[in-house]
Amino acid sequence: MNQRDLGLGYLLLSPTVLLLCGLLGWPLIQAVLLSFYDMHPLTRKFVWVGLGNYEDLFQDDMFWRALGNNFIWLAGSLLLQIGGGVAIALLLNRSFPGRGLARSLILFPYLMPVLVAALVWQWMLHDLNGIVNYALTSLGFRRVDWLGAMPNAMVTVIVVGSWRVFPFVVIAVLARLQSIPQQLYEAAEIDGASRVARFWDVTVPQLANVLSVVVLLRAIWDFREFDLIFLMTGGGPVIGTTTLPLLVYKEAFELFKMGKALAIAVVMLGCMLVLIAAYLFTLRKASTSEEMQS
Amino acid sequence: MTRAIDWAGRALLTAATWILVAAVTFPLFWMLGTAFKKPAELFVKPPTFVPREPTLENFANVLTQTKFLTYASNSLTVAVVTTVFVLVVSTLGAHALVSFRLRGRTVVARALLLAYMLPTTAVLIPIYLMIAGFGLTNTLTGLIVAYSSLALPFALWMMRAFFVGIPPEIEAAATIDGASRLEAFFDVVLPQALPGIITTGVFTFLLCWNEYLYSLVMINDDSRRTLPTGIMGTLVTGHTIEWGMVMAAASMMSVPLLLIFLLLQRYVVQGFGAGAVKG
Repeated sequence: MNQRDLGLGYLLLSPTVLLLCGLLGWPLIQAVLLSFYDMHPLTRKFVWVGLGNYEDLFQDDMFWRALGNNFIWLAGSLLLQIGGGVAIALLLNRSFPGRGLARSLILFPYLMPVLVAALVWQWMLHDLNGIVNYALTSLGFRRVDWLGAMPNAMVTVIVVGSWRVFPFVVIAVLARLQSIPQQLYEAAEIDGASRVARFWDVTVPQLANVLSVVVLLRAIWDFREFDLIFLMTGGGPVIGTTTLPLLVYKEAFELFKMGKALAIAVVMLGCMLVLIAAYLFTLRKASTSEEMQS
Repeated sequence: MTRAIDWAGRALLTAATWILVAAVTFPLFWMLGTAFKKPAELFVKPPTFVPREPTLENFANVLTQTKFLTYASNSLTVAVVTTVFVLVVSTLGAHALVSFRLRGRTVVARALLLAYMLPTTAVLIPIYLMIAGFGLTNTLTGLIVAYSSLALPFALWMMRAFFVGIPPEIEAAATIDGASRLEAFFDVVLPQALPGIITTGVFTFLLCWNEYLYSLVMINDDSRRTLPTGIMGTLVTGHTIEWGMVMAAASMMSVPLLLIFLLLQRYVVQGFGAGAVKG
C-alpha cells in the first residue's frame, strides 16, 4: 500500500475523528471539569467550588435513594428480560406451525417508539378503565394502583421496560441456538443422555458465552435508561422510581443546579465504566474460547 | 403410548408459545383497537376488542385539533437529515477503519466502542450548553447536532461490524485490475456493504424518531417540537386524557415504523445483533 492510499484512508477517517472529538470527547471532558463548578443559569457564570458539588451530593438522601433505585431497576430488568428472553427463544427454536410469523410478531415491542409503549401501557394500566384492572376485578381480585403507589410503580416500570427490550435477547439467543452443531445432540443421544440432560450438557454451555455478553450489554443500556421511566412515572410516586439519569435531569433542568447534576453524571459515568470494562473483558474471553472450539 | 405423550407435549408447547406471542403483542392491537373507538365505547364493560362502530373521529381530531402534522414533519426532518449525515460519515469511517492499515486505528475503534456505550445523560448538559452557546436551542439544527452525537457512535459501530464481514480479496482484486482505491470503494465495496448501510440507516432513523430527552430539554417553542414531546405536551396533559385521541396519535407515530419493518424485515433482524453481540 503506498503513501497516497494511506492519505486517502486518513481523509476518509477524518470526519469520524473530528465529530467524535467534538460531539463526545470534548463534552465528556467538560462534564468532568464543570462538575467542580457552580453555574448560575441566569448569569451563566461558572464559580469554582472544588469538591463542593460532590460533598453536597453525598449528603443528599435523594442521591442515595436514586442510586439504590438504579440498582433495583437494573437487577429487576435484567432478571426479567433475560429469563423471559431465553425462555421465549427456546420456545421459538422448536419447529411448530407459524414459526416465521411468531418470530416476526415477537419483535414488535422493540420497534415501537418508547413514547408509544409508555402511553399504551398507561392506558392498559389505568386505575378505573384499564383492561388490566378490569381483568383482575372480573377474576375476583381487587383493582391495583399500578403507577401511583410503591412498590407497584417500580415493578410496573421494570415489567414494561423488560417487555420492550426482551426481543433483543430473543434474537441474540435464537441466533446462537441455531448455530449449535446438531452432531453434539446426536452424540449425546447415542451416549444415552435424556432430553433434560442434553439441554444441560449441550444447550446451556453453548449459550453461556452469548448470554454473558448479552447480560452486560443490556446492563450498560438499562443502567442509563431515562425515557421510559420518565414517561411512565416522571420518577414518582414522590421519588420512588427516580433513578440517576432522572435525577440528573431534575437537578439540571428543574432545579437549575447544573454543577450538582454534572457531579451525578460523573458518578454515573464511573458506574458505567465498571460495566463497560466487564463487557470488554467478557467479549474478549468469549471470542477466544469460541476460537479454541472451532 | 410414549408417542402419544410426545405429541401431546409438543402440542402443549406450541399452544404455550402462541399464547405468549399473543400476550406480548397484545398492547399493539389494544392501541389500534382503542384508536378506532368512539369515546363512549372506551368505558364499556366488558371491554370490546374489536370496535363495535369503528370511527376515524379520533384520527381526524388529532390532525385538526393538535399540531400533529407539524410535529411529524419536524420529526421526519430531524430524523432524515441526521440519518443521511450519519450514514455518509460512518460509511467512510468504517471503510477507513477496516481496510486501511492506518496508524491508531485500534485506538479509534476502542474510543468508538466506549462512545457507543456512553450514557447520554453524562454528556447531556455539556452538549446542551454547547448548543445553547451557538444559539441553537429551540431550533431543529440544534436537535440534529444533538441527535448526531447519539447516532454517530452507534452507526459507526454497527457499520464497522458489516464492513468487517466483507472479504478483503474483492477490493484487492479490483485494484489489481487497475482501479484506484476510491474507484474500488465505489464500484466493489459499497454494493457489498449496501445491506449493512440499509440496516444501519433503519436503526439510526428509529433512534432519532424515538428520542425524547434532548427534544424535551432543547425545544420550548410548540411548533418546533418533535412527535414524542409534541404528543406528550398536548394530548397527555390536564386532568382528563382523551385516550381515543392519544391512541390514534400513538398509532400514527408507530405504524410507519412497523411498515418499514415489514418491508425490510430481513435487514432489521440482521441489525439486532450486528455490532453488539458479534463485537
